[in-house]
Amino acid sequence: MAQPFVKKDDDLDEEEEYSPFYGIEKGAVLQEARVFHDPQLDARRCSQVITKLLYLLNQGETFTKVEATEVFFAVTKLFQSKDTVLRRMVYLMIKDLSPSADEVIIVTSSLMKDMNSKTDMYRANAIRVLCRITDSTLLTQIERYLKQAIVDKNPVVASAALVSGVHLLQTNSEIVKRWSNEVQEAVQSRAALVQFHALALLHQIRQNDRLAVSKLVTSLTKGSVRSPLAQCLLIRYTSQVIRESSTNTQAGERPFFDYLESCLRHKSEMVVFEAARAITELSGVTSRELTPAITVLQLFLSSSKPVLRFAAIRTLNKIILSSMYGFNEQSRFAKKMVASTHPLAVTNCNIDMESLISDQNRSIATLAITTLLKTGNESSVDRLMKQITNFMSDIADEFKIVVVEAIRSLCLKFPLKYRSMMNFLSNILREEGGFDYKKAIVDSIVILIRDIPDAKEIGLFHLCEFIEDCEFTYLSTQILHFLGNEGPKTSDPSKYIRYIYNRVILENATVRASAVSTLAKFGAMVDSLKPRIFVLLRRCLFDSDDEVRDRATLYLNTLGTDASVGGTDEDVKDFLFGPLDVPLVNLETSLRNYEASDIPFDINLVPKEVKSQPLAEKKAPGKKAIGLGAPPSGPTTVVDAYEKLLSSISEFSSFGKLFKSCSPMELTEPETEYAVNVVKHIFDGHVVFQYNCTNTIPEQLLEKVTVFVDASEAEEFSEVLTKPLRSLPYDSPGQTFVAFEKPEGVPAIGKFSNLLKFVVKEVDPATGEADEEGVEDEYQLEDLEIVAADYMLKVGVSNFKNAWENMDPDNERIDEYGLGVKESLAETVSAVIDIVGMQPCEGTEVVPNNSRSHTCLLSGIFIGNVKVLVRVSFGIDGSKQVAMKLAVRSEDPEISEKIHEIVAEGKSSVKGKWRSGRWIGEMITRSKLVEQLREYQIRSQHKWGALAAFSPKPQMATRRGCLCGSYICFGICLAHTILLCSTLLQTLHDFSGSCIPWNSSSNMP
Amino acid sequence: MGSRFWEGQKRDRGVPTEERLHWRSFLVKLGADNLRRAKNEELFVASHKSVYIVYTMLGDVSIYVVGKDEYDELTLSEVIYVITSSVKDACDKPPTERLFLDKYGKICLCLDEIVWKGLLESTDKSRIRRLTRLKPPTDV
Repeated sequence: MAQPFVKKDDDLDEEEEYSPFYGIEKGAVLQEARVFHDPQLDARRCSQVITKLLYLLNQGETFTKVEATEVFFAVTKLFQSKDTVLRRMVYLMIKDLSPSADEVIIVTSSLMKDMNSKTDMYRANAIRVLCRITDSTLLTQIERYLKQAIVDKNPVVASAALVSGVHLLQTNSEIVKRWSNEVQEAVQSRAALVQFHALALLHQIRQNDRLAVSKLVTSLTKGSVRSPLAQCLLIRYTSQVIRESSTNTQAGERPFFDYLESCLRHKSEMVVFEAARAITELSGVTSRELTPAITVLQLFLSSSKPVLRFAAIRTLNKIILSSMYGFNEQSRFAKKMVASTHPLAVTNCNIDMESLISDQNRSIATLAITTLLKTGNESSVDRLMKQITNFMSDIADEFKIVVVEAIRSLCLKFPLKYRSMMNFLSNILREEGGFDYKKAIVDSIVILIRDIPDAKEIGLFHLCEFIEDCEFTYLSTQILHFLGNEGPKTSDPSKYIRYIYNRVILENATVRASAVSTLAKFGAMVDSLKPRIFVLLRRCLFDSDDEVRDRATLYLNTLGTDASVGGTDEDVKDFLFGPLDVPLVNLETSLRNYEASDIPFDINLVPKEVKSQPLAEKKAPGKKAIGLGAPPSGPTTVVDAYEKLLSSISEFSSFGKLFKSCSPMELTEPETEYAVNVVKHIFDGHVVFQYNCTNTIPEQLLEKVTVFVDASEAEEFSEVLTKPLRSLPYDSPGQTFVAFEKPEGVPAIGKFSNLLKFVVKEVDPATGEADEEGVEDEYQLEDLEIVAADYMLKVGVSNFKNAWENMDPDNERIDEYGLGVKESLAETVSAVIDIVGMQPCEGTEVVPNNSRSHTCLLSGIFIGNVKVLVRVSFGIDGSKQVAMKLAVRSEDPEISEKIHEIVAEGKSSVKGKWRSGRWIGEMITRSKLVEQLREYQIRSQHKWGALAAFSPKPQMATRRGCLCGSYICFGICLAHTILLCSTLLQTLHDFSGSCIPWNSSSNMP
Repeated sequence: MGSRFWEGQKRDRGVPTEERLHWRSFLVKLGADNLRRAKNEELFVASHKSVYIVYTMLGDVSIYVVGKDEYDELTLSEVIYVITSSVKDACDKPPTERLFLDKYGKICLCLDEIVWKGLLESTDKSRIRRLTRLKPPTDV
């Protein structure tokens, strides 16, 4: 549904004297509204008062319930007047007041009378008002009139009824659907607008019925559609039909293509553009089909109307974009064809687009630039860069970001041209700009350095220059961290030291601390520099900030040869460069909990489970990507609460450290007498079921609540203890626990059936007193299972490629699976993720629409604290056969094997996820599979590059260093403990703001 | 000045206040960046997130039309054309601020005829003019 907002600018000062509404005041206007009650109505004066009321309403003034009712009743009196202008105002006023249900009655009869009036215009307006304020009961009463109105010979009346229909469809779809015969008739109307509205309504009524839509399109594309607006709608519906039909019939002439092509010659530009766009968006469009559409768009590029230029360049940009994605992403396989043909087709427009770079409208110019950057070939790069340089100075930051991103992808496309682009980036880095813009540039430089080895030194140099004069602490720390990782590997690391040490002298405490860490990294990696780094670090011992001093002390001790904390050289490097393997949110919560106690903080006790964000949150509309403030909240607190709860129960204290708590699983249907859900807590050698019970019957009190668990289908488990719940009053949840022993470290699986047992006592609802006597009773609950995924902690890695390469390839186990016919890849991917219970990394759990192959990256920690990484590639062929290649790396080859076993068992899993799954050879021919796998290999070679480039949050470790460092400091100087803790919290706070993915993408044109 | 449709949208579609403010400041900024040197009735176009914005300057008044999905920039330019011509019609000439406010009621009626709860209803100027006076349109 469309939402055109229309708004009048109000930044002009409305309080100026000449405004007729100067000094307008609600109370006074409400007083004036008394004229509505005059026996002799002054129509003119009444109109004026209504205008004032409208003005107030539109300025955001609110009426209290009483005021609104009063005004509403007064307005209804105006129906007595025969004055047409006043009547028109009254209609509008009633709509704007949107009276409540009990008030509507008052006007219903007047409006019904108008609806059957001889004056056409009364009818039309009455329909609109009635439909606006009506509810379903009233609607059934007036339905008959509305049906008549749809086929009314007066187009205004018909349109009013049709548009009402569109609105009512959302609330009373059943009623509106009954009108389809009349609407069908209205589609044939000779009045253009009626046809437009009728077509829209008819399509909405039938949108879920593919066949009906297809029929509608077939009949209308042959006939004549008068209004250009209706024609546009028809084109949209047609392309929808083409989309849906092409999935079934792959070959042959595309249906309705002739119609689309004929629309390219329509006299209305709107229709021409719509058709051109529809053609470009066809899936698998050929060059022959595309050419006429591009020609039309090319003509639009030089149109005098900015709107047309914008529309054309936007569409061309989109074509390129879709082919670019085809080039980079997983769907490359599917879009290979598109990628090779489209840019060529668009290249013809390059000259026209170049002239648009100087377009007055900045949106158009930016789009032109970014399109050109994508279509441009290696030879035109330099010329383009020159043009862009002139253009950059007078556009807004958000446009600049788009340009920077385009340049980044261009540079990755033509790595040989890195020099000119790197220069360009460093030039614009020096100019004025906001944080997001600077971040985009720094981000781009970092990516180029990672991807183009030749560009490394020059890029690092530019970054060094930048931090000399950088006003953003966040960027400075990020760059310093990056420098620490990359700088020591360059040919002459010593030249960076000056820039880094300058930070220690000149910057604020946060940057100084980062610089100290970076210095330490140089010291650890470059032996020749070590003595000199020591000198610098010692100077930092006198810093005014305690964090800086602490870091310096820590590094001096770790790096120092005599006083060794870290032990071997390897350990030192691991400590300096290794990732922090605890999620920051969890660490923050643990630290908050810790703050009050006085035992040393143990980082190993921080839970490692990451809960994926609820989907709704990700989709939250209007949430800006730049929302730096809001720290992620929620999930970990639950885990923490479990940990606290379990540790408070003495019986469980011997079980050791909690490995994982699964999310609650319902064991009862909703709205039953007793609601029970279970949380599985996994320990190394034990499993605890926590049954959360709620009593929903006010007349009952339950006592001695236990769950009797039958573990006959779980051979490896033996029950060790049950902790009953003493009493369970109405509506106050309580927990009962059952603990099982299982072989240590083994991912045993099994099925458990549950029976809730309790003593029930009657309660007098009036007094709330329970009877003395109770009756024993039981209640059957659903079964629960321990599955392999329960032994896997969802722990993400920040840079999958690095993590993968750091794992011993000898522990890798690869196997191929044929999964049989599946509905879609997306479904298969999520099923596999569910079976292994691992954390998808880098957004690879999302499968692009229509893609034929996909690679998903998973990471997790298996019971026994074994890190596991999985790369799983899927391919689907025309007959929907899915093949899967699973590569597992872990710290223990047996665990790698185990993951394969889990996946293999998953195919026969009780939940029937692989219902149709079979091993290779049974369903898919060998050759087909080999072909698909070859496809993966080709892709994966490209993909690693792309992944490295777009890997989110690569440079977190500045803070991590600080955290790890501080942690070890606890050991060194306990006296500082409490003090540090607060610093940490603060640092964390800063951090939670900054752990936004590095490469946020802006949607601005 | 009147942001009739804006408010209408707010009530009808539940555009929350903070979003409305966001939009307001966004549009005002957009206008301030681009409209200053604009000629009368010169069309401007932009897109932001998933919506399109077509805007123009008419006399003292800036008009913004925002739409998404099927209401793309071309449809919006049609809409803005109808709005500008209706406003001119109501005011008899390019409106000054004073004139615009004087004819506020009339303009509200015009807009009410053009867009209803986010749906385009009429696109013809003379028809709108007649409809605001409850006269049937001439062409049937």
